Amino acid sequence: MKQPGKRLRRVRVGVDTGGTFTDFVFQTEEGLRVFKIASTPMDPSEAITEGLRRIVELTGVSLSAIEVVHGTTVGTNALLQRRGARTALVTTRGFEDVLAIGRQARPALYDLHAVRPAPLIPDELRFGISERVAATGEVLEELDERALQSLVGKLKRARVESIAVSLLFSFVHPEHEQRIAEALAGLGVPLSISHRILPEYREYERTSTVAINAYLQPLMSAYLNRLKMHAPTLRVMQSSGGSISADVAGEEPVRTILSGPAGGVVGALRVSREVAIPGIITFDMGGTSTDVALCDHQGMRMTNEGSVAGMPVAVQMMDIHTVGAGGGSIARVDEGGSLRVGPESAGAQPGPACYGRGLEPTVTDANLVLGRFGRAWLLGGEFKLDEGRARTALTRLASQMSRASGRRVSVREAARGVVRVVNTNMERALRVISVERGYDPREFVLLPFGGAGGLHAVELARALRVPSVIAPVSAGALSATGALSSDVVKDWSRTVMLEGLKENYAKIEGAFREMEREARAALRLEGFIGARQRHERSLAVRYKGQSFELEIKWARGVGGGGVGRNRLAEAFHQAHRARYGYAQEANHVEVVSVRLRSIGIVEKLRVARERPPPGKVRAAASREFATVYFTEKPARAHLYNRDELDAGTRLHTPCIVMEYSATTLIPPGAEAFVDEHGNLIIEP
Amino acid sequence: MKRREQPQRFDSKRFDPTTLEIYRALYTSVAEEMGIALRRTAFSPNIKERRDYSCAVFDREGRVIAQGDHMPVHLGSMPMAVAAALQEIQIAPGDVVALNDPFSGGTHLPDVTLVTAVGGEEELAVGNGQLAVKSKSRRHPGAHPLLPTANCPLPTVLFYVANRAHHADIGGATPGSMGLATDVYGEGLRIPPVRIVRGGLVDEELMRLLLANVRGTTERRADFEAQIGSLKTGATRLKEIVERRGIDETRAYAAHLIAYSARLMRRTIGEIPDGEYRAEDALDDDGVSKDEVKICVRVKVKGESALVDFKGSAPQVAGAVNAVEAITVSAVSYVFRCLLGGDVPASAGLMEPIEVVAPRGSIVNALHPASVAGGNVETSQRIVDVLFRALHQALPGRIPAASQGTMNNLTIGGIDSRTNQEFAYYETVAGGMGARPLSDGMSAVHTHMTNSLNTPAEALEYAYPLRVRAYRIRKGSGGRGKQQGGNGVVREIETLVPARMSLLSDRRRLAPYGLDGGEDGSTGREHIIHKGRARAIASKGSWQLEARDRVRIETPGGGGFGKSKGKQGR
Repeated sequence: MKQPGKRLRRVRVGVDTGGTFTDFVFQTEEGLRVFKIASTPMDPSEAITEGLRRIVELTGVSLSAIEVVHGTTVGTNALLQRRGARTALVTTRGFEDVLAIGRQARPALYDLHAVRPAPLIPDELRFGISERVAATGEVLEELDERALQSLVGKLKRARVESIAVSLLFSFVHPEHEQRIAEALAGLGVPLSISHRILPEYREYERTSTVAINAYLQPLMSAYLNRLKMHAPTLRVMQSSGGSISADVAGEEPVRTILSGPAGGVVGALRVSREVAIPGIITFDMGGTSTDVALCDHQGMRMTNEGSVAGMPVAVQMMDIHTVGAGGGSIARVDEGGSLRVGPESAGAQPGPACYGRGLEPTVTDANLVLGRFGRAWLLGGEFKLDEGRARTALTRLASQMSRASGRRVSVREAARGVVRVVNTNMERALRVISVERGYDPREFVLLPFGGAGGLHAVELARALRVPSVIAPVSAGALSATGALSSDVVKDWSRTVMLEGLKENYAKIEGAFREMEREARAALRLEGFIGARQRHERSLAVRYKGQSFELEIKWARGVGGGGVGRNRLAEAFHQAHRARYGYAQEANHVEVVSVRLRSIGIVEKLRVARERPPPGKVRAAASREFATVYFTEKPARAHLYNRDELDAGTRLHTPCIVMEYSATTLIPPGAEAFVDEHGNLIIEP
Repeated sequence: MKRREQPQRFDSKRFDPTTLEIYRALYTSVAEEMGIALRRTAFSPNIKERRDYSCAVFDREGRVIAQGDHMPVHLGSMPMAVAAALQEIQIAPGDVVALNDPFSGGTHLPDVTLVTAVGGEEELAVGNGQLAVKSKSRRHPGAHPLLPTANCPLPTVLFYVANRAHHADIGGATPGSMGLATDVYGEGLRIPPVRIVRGGLVDEELMRLLLANVRGTTERRADFEAQIGSLKTGATRLKEIVERRGIDETRAYAAHLIAYSARLMRRTIGEIPDGEYRAEDALDDDGVSKDEVKICVRVKVKGESALVDFKGSAPQVAGAVNAVEAITVSAVSYVFRCLLGGDVPASAGLMEPIEVVAPRGSIVNALHPASVAGGNVETSQRIVDVLFRALHQALPGRIPAASQGTMNNLTIGGIDSRTNQEFAYYETVAGGMGARPLSDGMSAVHTHMTNSLNTPAEALEYAYPLRVRAYRIRKGSGGRGKQQGGNGVVREIETLVPARMSLLSDRRRLAPYGLDGGEDGSTGREHIIHKGRARAIASKGSWQLEARDRVRIETPGGGGFGKSKGKQGR
């Protein structure tokens, strides 16, 4: 019931669009509220508009008082489905084919029939222009003004909707790109200029990034403008973790490629800070894919070597590793007799066999047959699962496995096999972002979310020897919560390529100052002033001769956090040793780029009122039980409704904890209790 | 009698499908992690940017269990390197053996392979107690390093790991060590299997000897260190797996993976109609004489096994296109691996049902002291071409037309005026892929035995006194057909200092073949541009360049597939 006296003046809403559901999280005086409604893949803004209308009803505020922070997959999907704009590319003459050649490698070593994705910008829309700059910034060939005029004419005739410009070494000498931008301004189409979007070396990766930006620009800005009619105050999650204004996102959509998954990582990070745990590995398991990431005491790990749809994206983004395995992954026995799970997926259509349409056995079917959901439904009973169909699909798989191994394999054994194999795939993904990056999983906590994360997390923690698992409240809507809690973040970088530090200290300081001036102005435009701005400096450093950099935080002036001017080399040797096991102290240290992360700090979420810490830990009572097959033999697992669990409760194990948006499975031998924030803390 | 203490006899049929899949992923990820560690710490663009390296995991008998998806020409030939290393030296954990001798496990001199043994140290016993091996002694009693005990691994050894990287210079007459010598001595420094690391410490005397014979010593040393670090990464990961899962299961499933690959390969061969399929093709020349160098093959398929016989191929030649047997086996292995498809462990089992006959002293099994720089990179490609041509008769709907059939090896070296240091740069240039029965060939890609990346112009120009002047697709070079052959590329590089340039390339006279009525791809060509004037040069040789001279390479297109019906060439 509406209570006019209690009306909120303003409501902030986190919105995350997924393949099946669109999640909404918003702030009320009582704490956070969560709901899901069916997604509208043709135009995701429809589901969002519908959800916002519901929030208007629930809170009584007007639409104009709602501030939305949005995690979107519009950009990624447009890229995957090639629905972007008719885009042109301008390069240094001689390098028109940089997108078509790429790094000259084929995508699969032994596949005679593999194909490379066609370049985003076709042959006839790629234009070279006479000009050349050397690595030192020296102009070897001036930009040809007459050629520029003729280029403008050609682009006009080509009727393009968007233009990307990427010249060689533009990051050391941007003047040529600037002049081209001025000349093209009159065409009235959006421009994506390489030294503005990504002033860093490696021409293919940079050009690919700029081309993707140009390709998505018209579509993304149209989508966001449409959405803004219903949500006037709109911000968008960017791939590196913060949110940017809808206008900036419309200008630089390449920064939103990982918008959705990034929200999840931010949400996970918020949970980890709440419980004061510095290092987490996030595990977001969905229907067709799983996203994993690692955060250490410095926060989330970033990368500039990401790729989407087979094309590199070199802007800073979270180092999120995605594997094509999830609840919908299909299991089969291959010709050599090995049990394979994925990458083929039943997706949302037809979905796992137990959703009532598909026939193939999937991970979700295996979980269901083993009793791991607790009840044959999802979303608190809104969504029923058909156990008979799951069993039929897995029976077929079991008989294939019997043939391969020459002995009888039971349905449950097959189902357990599917779970073990998918867990191995997940484990491999978790290794990619931990061990392969030089982190020891034993020093981290696993934080599962997404609908299925909690079903597999404890087993994965055991395999990786992660000492504990934190299953947050409303794990199924953590991405939306993350979007809601995100600070406004903007990353700046510049390649400087300086050898030796002391000699170049002034240059580095100068570059930082210049970037900070720009950054402060940009944040002011977005409404952040004074103490609500923060600027973090770092340097990308390597040994002279290497091609990959490590990032070292850099102190601002004297004092402050990070490493000061005299200790950079030392800090770098240390970081190199930590990552690769050795350092080369005699070698020169080279500063490749200076980087600045500017943050506008948003007000913190007010989660549900803190429950008082329990005087005494007590065991939770449960009256319901489910039969679960952790091994061949059935086990009786306690069934808990998460909403009824008080802080300080210790759970009987094995057990299944059910809530509206997710299920958590805790196998025998593990211990679990509920902390004062409502998180399940599990010792595997 | 306590049965448990009897070592269980391996039965290839007794395995669990789930566990098999788990081990496939585990062992492959070890090889991949080794590759990442190598790439991220190496200095030379050829390793860190172009990724001209490979990593693999071997069981204690030296059979390959898993490999990363790296360079096919390395992957098929590394088992011979490990075998040769084990033949000469009893490798203990903590030792690293290096080798590049083409006549003792190597292929061509720039490819240096490092091998180490894994396991057997005390910390392994700390795990779950399942480890049988707890020996403290580093050497098998009675075994002495000077008395090789071939094929008898130390009891403490659980696995071997190896990596192979192409070093940008390994000495010899021309910078980059890819010039045209007429014997192996002229090609550079030959390293028989020797310990480069003993008991965890680099043998500095040996290292001094190596570095005294190569150009760009800082870069070389750093690359060796990166290779050693990568082996450490692999060893650590393997030990973790053993600690976690127990030595018995770890070993048994290594054997199961080999049996699994063999099973899949038998099935694949079983699907090829029985019969004898013959084909021949040739290299343009060996760079010394103008004569074609013929390669013949007879593939005999019977049931689930195949015989691949190269009888009739040309005798080994004076120029540097001789292939040692390891390369020939590698090319055969690659071709059959392609027929298999899918995500299969690249283990020793793949070659079980295949017998290779390469006549001694021929172009496909060259003997000491043949020069071999191009055998690895050029002749290997032609062996693939001739094999696919033969198999096309058996599997007409599956085999693609010929791809560019060369790697267009370019090396440039001299003194970098910015630092007064020697430099040597090596790269290979992509070309057109042959058309497939159902799709066009890709343009501007590396095909078959290599998959190395390019060096970005912006990385190359920071590293060396070189400048990329053009890098574009060579339009119209793909063979026409119902499906079009892929186009080659045009790459033009300018040197800013006087430099020695070498080229080792092929398919300049004999074009990549089309299939089923598809037209041949265009042949490649190259020019030196001196003061604005282009002069055609030979496909193989070395030239002195003046500052500001440019070399322009136009790489071959792939062959077309099927008769074109009015479809225009690109």
